[in-house]
Amino acid sequence: MKLIGWGLFAALLATPALAQNPRYQPDPEWRAPAEAQGRENPLAARPELAAGGRKLFIRNCVECHGRDGAGMEKKHSADLQLSSVQQQSDGTLFWKITNGNAKCGMPSFSKLPELQRWQIVLYIRTLKP
Amino acid sequence: MIATQLHLMKNFHLAILLPLLLQLPSAAQESPFFVTYTHHMEEPGNLDLEFSTTNGLPRSGQRAYVAPYLELEYGVTARWTSELYLEGQSTSGDSAVFTGWRWENRYKLLGREHWINPVLYLEYEDLNEASRIQKEIEGGGPDLTSPNALLSPTRDHELESKLILSSDYHDWNISENFILAKNFSQSEGIEFGYAFGVSRPLGTLASGRDCHFCRENFSLGAEVYGGLGSTLDFGLHDTAHYFAPVLSWAVSDNSTLRLSPGVGLTHETNPVLIRLGYTYEIQDFTQRVAKLFGRRP
Repeated sequence: MKLIGWGLFAALLATPALAQNPRYQPDPEWRAPAEAQGRENPLAARPELAAGGRKLFIRNCVECHGRDGAGMEKKHSADLQLSSVQQQSDGTLFWKITNGNAKCGMPSFSKLPELQRWQIVLYIRTLKP
Repeated sequence: MIATQLHLMKNFHLAILLPLLLQLPSAAQESPFFVTYTHHMEEPGNLDLEFSTTNGLPRSGQRAYVAPYLELEYGVTARWTSELYLEGQSTSGDSAVFTGWRWENRYKLLGREHWINPVLYLEYEDLNEASRIQKEIEGGGPDLTSPNALLSPTRDHELESKLILSSDYHDWNISENFILAKNFSQSEGIEFGYAFGVSRPLGTLASGRDCHFCRENFSLGAEVYGGLGSTLDFGLHDTAHYFAPVLSWAVSDNSTLRLSPGVGLTHETNPVLIRLGYTYEIQDFTQRVAKLFGRRP
């Protein structure tokens, strides 16, 4: 019985790993222009708005990036927890959300109001492992 | 007469509203427009099921009608969206008829966001003359006075193209559609039309709680659309034009309700054109179907 319990616990721990995309390779051509990279998040001083960003993330991003933002191998989507993503500036992340990358299947989310896209950036910052 | 019209509309609207009652709390950010297209495409792999009606209130010599249509919108890639329409029409004191189908494709020309984002639109239509959904108006507009028995035997095979120009400016969307249509079944020349729309979400910040009636779930706007005659008779003479406020409400994470009470601006229109639409988005449709057949997507 104890063995089954440990087995279930191990399976539970392994579940998020199955959803991750350890093979994620960033597209070297998908780069924000310098001007966009330098943009600051107008909501940076209001971290409480990350809660709204979480809601937007669930609505728009979870489908490909997973609930924990770790990406999905079958979707070839980015692991947003990776330091290579987290090191990117707020402006870069905002630009990527706005423009998407059609070549890799990432849609543009310019249909969301600008402040909501910044809220998503706020939330992505909370995904650091 | 009025009672029959109201009964007719009530039945169709119940069909739209019923699924709402079955929704779980949970916002698809759909454009509020019925006629004007923006550059925002369907997300790849997602399928939108949309059930809408166009309801015409009559002026003298016309009859009230309800023209329902089912729209299946699929995101083929991040820049290519394909849609299939099935449509019908029921006229008060006349009959109900199936009016045909349409297959449209939209392709976003530029991969990134610009001041003006152009989209090419190409549609094949196999309709009859009784079609009244008025997804666009080209030429002079539809015949709103002749009975279905006279209109429905005449089939139209039509190719329609649009140049969609759309801009997002400070949370406002401003879109312009320029229409060219060629009916291969009749000698009507090439017909022209237009649609312009402006919309904005009511709330630009998302609240942290789940809510149905938050401002962020609503978008308001207005569109104006009409026909511009054809190569045989170009201009505003004898053409239909409408002005229509639009409202969309993201009822849940994957469903949107839209309403548009339009006003006819010329004698060739219905004085009031009420549009109602319900969209349900199935995320990851391709993968779901692949799973259903036991295949690895």
